[in-house]
Amino acid sequence: MECADIQKKLSAYIDDAISPEERMLIDEHLTSCQECSVSLSDMRKTLEYIQKLEDIEPPPWLTQKVMARIRLEAKPKRGILQKLFYPLHIKLPIEAAAVFLIAVAALYIFKTIQPEVKLTQMPSEEMKTQIPSQEKDRIPAIVETEPVPSKPAEKPLFAKKPEVTERVTEAPKAPPPVAKEDETRPSAGAVAKDEQRTEVLSRAKAMAERKEERISLTINVKDIKTAGREVEKALMQLNGQIIRTESFENREIITAKLDSKKLKNFIDKLKLIGEVKEVALDGLEGNIEISIEIVKTSPHLQ
Amino acid sequence: MKEKEQRTEDEDAQLVSLCKNGDVDAFEVLVKKHQKRMLNIAYRMIGSYEDACEVVQDAFVSAFKGIKNFEERAKFSTWLYTIVINLSRNRLKQLEIKSHREDSSLDDPVFTDDSQITVEPASDEPSVLERLKKRDVQKKVQECIHALDNESREVIVLRDIQNFSYDEISDMLKIPEGTVKSRLFRARYSLKDCLKNVMGDL
Repeated sequence: MECADIQKKLSAYIDDAISPEERMLIDEHLTSCQECSVSLSDMRKTLEYIQKLEDIEPPPWLTQKVMARIRLEAKPKRGILQKLFYPLHIKLPIEAAAVFLIAVAALYIFKTIQPEVKLTQMPSEEMKTQIPSQEKDRIPAIVETEPVPSKPAEKPLFAKKPEVTERVTEAPKAPPPVAKEDETRPSAGAVAKDEQRTEVLSRAKAMAERKEERISLTINVKDIKTAGREVEKALMQLNGQIIRTESFENREIITAKLDSKKLKNFIDKLKLIGEVKEVALDGLEGNIEISIEIVKTSPHLQ
Repeated sequence: MKEKEQRTEDEDAQLVSLCKNGDVDAFEVLVKKHQKRMLNIAYRMIGSYEDACEVVQDAFVSAFKGIKNFEERAKFSTWLYTIVINLSRNRLKQLEIKSHREDSSLDDPVFTDDSQITVEPASDEPSVLERLKKRDVQKKVQECIHALDNESREVIVLRDIQNFSYDEISDMLKIPEGTVKSRLFRARYSLKDCLKNVMGDL
């Protein structure tokens, strides 16, 4: 082996990164070659110098500085992570819970507000006799939906609705529903429809009936003022008690109390005054409250 | 040294997986563990303590950013040292461009490294003269290392200062082991010549 080849391998020889055969050859050469032996020792000395180099110590603030930057780096990363994953893992349930809460709250508010709405509607219903019949149609329709299997979410809403509305009309102002009831009872299918009502409802009705009754009458006349006086006179004759008289542009409403036994007589008298819309008088007992609406006859009706 | 690295590998892997889940504290443990060696690699490559510190910081930050992409095929430390080597190379290029532009004024300290003086721990040696001599030798060695071309310097730093195996160096520099061997041979000869010139005799 040439000296140049040997010297090329001395570096690896020092590191013991050569094959045993090569090592043997180099060892053999070194014993005879002065130049190569010096080269080897020079290299060993060089490496010694390098290895004697002392490690430098990191400054004490290095870790803190690195970590400050890392934390700064980690923060926006978390923001991105939040954006990417929170909607999937955490935000969605929160949203779902929020939607559920809103739904529940809305239902609750709807329920609590409903009675007030009904109460404000009450006076207008008293005046218009056709309203009860509408009510009649509406309520059974709702009740009929009850047995139909519906979605569980909808069920409480629909199932409770009729109950709520009924309770509202019967509890604070017992007379009006009764009056409606009595008026509409003889109409076709009314009794049958009644059966469809819930037991709770009919029981409440029965209780209300035992108390004071109330009916509405409408007479069509030519002269409202004269008719009003006539009606008042008729009431007086029958020992009726006028509660109040309300005058409007084309109509007058007289509310009065009258013995139910004299009611037929009263209506006969009314028939003399004007055109009376027939109402049901069956099953009335004791004193009843009558509201007589005197309406001016429209020209085209004559 | 190699054995020690392998023993600590499992420890790192655990911390690395914690880091992958965004555990900053786990990363701090890794920083504390590796910062000294990182700094020494960077310092011997660049020759400036301040620049080395900056490079180490940058290396840790980019390691943290890229830790999710780190596959456990390589050792974490090897991966980390690869980053610091690459960043040191970049820093050297920047410094070269900078020094070219400034056209090295006479006031520029040539190969001086005051930081080495400050960081050198007080040794047990009694004589001030001895200490000065030692410091002088270290300075000269550092100067010679710095005078090497980048490729040679890298293998000297990794093999003769940091005692990495040929295999590990091959991994870090992404070169075959044969190239490591030949580069090392060349680097050691250059260094030997330089030291001979600087110190008169070895």
